[in-house]
Amino acid sequence: MAKTIMIVDDSASLRQVVSIALKGAGYDVIEGCDGKDALSKLTGQKVSLIVSDVNMPNMDGITMVQEIKKLPAYKFTPIIMLTTESSDGKKAAGQAAGAKAWMVKPFKPEQLLMAVSKLVLP
Amino acid sequence: MNMEQAFQTFLAESAELLQDMEDKLLGLENCEDATESVNSIFRAVHTIKGSAGLFGLDDIVAFTHVVESVLDDVRSGSFVLDEQLINLLLQCKDYIGKMVDSIEGESVLMTAEDLQLQQALTNTLSGYLNKVHSTSPATMLVGINETDDYQSVSVIESDITIANENWHISVYFGVDVLRSGMDPLSFLRYLATLGTIVHIETVTDGMPSPEDMDAESCYLGYEINFHSNATKNQIEDVFEFVRDDCQLKILPPYAKASEFIAIIESIQTDELKLGEILLRCGTLTQRELDDLLHLQTSVKQGGTHRLIGEIVVADGLASSEVVTAALHKQAQGKKAKEKQAQTVRVDAEKLDHLINLIGELVIAGAGVESEAHLTGIGSLKESAQTMTRLVEEVRESALHLRMVQIGETFNRFQRVVRDVSKELGKDIDLQINGAETELDKTVIEKISDPLMHLVRNSIDHGIESPALRAERHKPVTGNVTLNAYHESGTIVIEVSDDGGGLNKDKILQKARANGLVSPDTELSAHEIYQLIFEAGFSTADAVSNISGRGVGMDVVRRNIEALRGTVEIDSEYTVGTTIRIRLPLTLAIIDGFMMKVGDVFYVLPLDIVEECIELNACHSEGQEGRHYINLRGEVLPFIRLGDYFCKSQRKAKRENIVVIKYGNLKAGFVVDELMGEFQTVIKPLGPLFERVPGISGSTILGSGEVALILDAASLIHLVMQRDGKAMSVAAQQSALH
Repeated sequence: MAKTIMIVDDSASLRQVVSIALKGAGYDVIEGCDGKDALSKLTGQKVSLIVSDVNMPNMDGITMVQEIKKLPAYKFTPIIMLTTESSDGKKAAGQAAGAKAWMVKPFKPEQLLMAVSKLVLP
Repeated sequence: MNMEQAFQTFLAESAELLQDMEDKLLGLENCEDATESVNSIFRAVHTIKGSAGLFGLDDIVAFTHVVESVLDDVRSGSFVLDEQLINLLLQCKDYIGKMVDSIEGESVLMTAEDLQLQQALTNTLSGYLNKVHSTSPATMLVGINETDDYQSVSVIESDITIANENWHISVYFGVDVLRSGMDPLSFLRYLATLGTIVHIETVTDGMPSPEDMDAESCYLGYEINFHSNATKNQIEDVFEFVRDDCQLKILPPYAKASEFIAIIESIQTDELKLGEILLRCGTLTQRELDDLLHLQTSVKQGGTHRLIGEIVVADGLASSEVVTAALHKQAQGKKAKEKQAQTVRVDAEKLDHLINLIGELVIAGAGVESEAHLTGIGSLKESAQTMTRLVEEVRESALHLRMVQIGETFNRFQRVVRDVSKELGKDIDLQINGAETELDKTVIEKISDPLMHLVRNSIDHGIESPALRAERHKPVTGNVTLNAYHESGTIVIEVSDDGGGLNKDKILQKARANGLVSPDTELSAHEIYQLIFEAGFSTADAVSNISGRGVGMDVVRRNIEALRGTVEIDSEYTVGTTIRIRLPLTLAIIDGFMMKVGDVFYVLPLDIVEECIELNACHSEGQEGRHYINLRGEVLPFIRLGDYFCKSQRKAKRENIVVIKYGNLKAGFVVDELMGEFQTVIKPLGPLFERVPGISGSTILGSGEVALILDAASLIHLVMQRDGKAMSVAAQQSALH
């Protein structure tokens, strides 16, 4: 069975492109449009990897990661943060929250695919 | 789903974000607490940049990056958003919009001028950035993993070269790696995609005794003999995400022995044993190992031995954590429910299709109901009625899907008013009322251009220059008001200003000069005002950039009429002007009122029907040829639909007048029979009948017969024209009585 990856971003076009890339590589994809939405969609789903934006309305990515880490079922789900913010402060906050991987936006779909396949092979 | 669709989403999204950005920027000008607005503006630019990168639109990425950097500094409070900066950001917004448009279609092409503009904007933005950062900030940073500098292995001088053509990778994962959600195995699997793992040894020395072992910690390390043509960077990138969480040493083929010593030393394990592992990996030969160990001893004596800190394993997660997690999950469930009120993006085409189908359903439903009626079976009639009611509800909600608040369209004018008034050196405020009024999206889209024209007109021709305003004892700041409200099944949009108003004499003079009106015609004020909607009419003495060419008002009227709407003007010289647009709420399905003349069915929109009265003898007595009655002291002109459409030659026994009100005009239609309320699905007329005055469409009845939908606006207009003189005479008479 294909592994499921969740992509969280407030930009619909980004989600679409990432979905296309990931599906093309053989993953299943769930989309979330912000932190809250993502959390609500996590319940009961088996997710192998979460790729999330930082700057989002309603609930930002870092808060979301903190929340996810509190869920026993997703405590160990790897999280890649996508961000344009390469500032160290944010990065540290993200790391403290439990996200280990960072990708600086803008990126090419291939770059993301490569990063994803390091963590989860389809 | 394909890339083309994703790209369309990107375009739509960008347009939305840019609009939002503009709204927020304009809102900032008169708002105290800017934090939230600045955040949204930042997010807009940020998102566009991110998405543009995905599509490889590097120009947009480069430009938005600079804008974003400036906004980031605003956000962090490095400088305030003053009017100048808002202006600059608005220009940037426009420019980003242009860049997006230029990739969207062939119509907009970037010219050399645009590129100059980009350069100028970038320079100004960089100026801001330079105030904050001493170094040049506008450098583009793109791509991942540029920041990870490779930790060079401490090199101890040695001349021994290990004769091995494979890479040697030594990786020891941190205890927390599993807790961070990383699976060590996945990295090794990925490594295998770059080359061949010739040999792998698992180092289990970090394992504590079983009772101390934490199942969530990782205690393993690996020594790998790896054959690959990949570069060191590529291999290192494999471990990118655990880079901070593991000890990684990568030795190229034919590495220096000293580098192996560094590995052996850095791993907290029995040195001899590790040496053996390397031996088993095939990385080292026995002789090399011996040499290494020898070398190591000598280095130790030199005092360069390093100790790795004890890795402390954080023991068992507190049980309280499990409890909070469970509670949290419960809360999540509730939140998820609240969350449902989210928007769903639907293709307009799908929506149109749905509404079309519902239209058919309404017709079919009416058919079922009339058939059920004929059978006379009570229970069947009842179920048919229930179904009709449900269909009606479905229709209501389906139409609501298309309804959009007009506020967004109105807000767009903030910018127009601001820009145009600055250009003209006038001080103008835009007031918006009724922004929450809803109407059909198609209507909104089509009304936006005419509105734009009217607003520009108000600013340019309406509001006087500050000097003239002072002379007229008006406040220097002019006022343009946009207002929207519902009125008897139509939506009314008003554009009003407190400017100079229309000069009746000047308009009439001009109209006569242009030959639009014959010199001897007398016109009412209302009729004179309507003249400005004629083609080629402008009273402005000077043609400006903004308006005054006399093309436009007639286009405005035509656009509005195409939407089955009307436009009218109220004005008072030196006081102000109000232009009122009246539009039907929706274009697809209406509640109709059905009437019959002879054997032809006619439908009027129910909302405009005021009342129905019987046209009895006393009304018509002695008034042959006059088409008006006295309705409770009011003059009510009427039209015989039968005569108008040349239908019935014979008069029905009883005739009825349907009194309709359109705007502030009232008129009556004489019909034979009143059929009552009827859900009407508007079907366009074929090209042959499109231009028949008085009919706006057709509909199909449940029985399959066709009914004509009357165009109330044009019929009333007709009544007024034909009976205008008679009516004014009558009005005088009734005033005398």
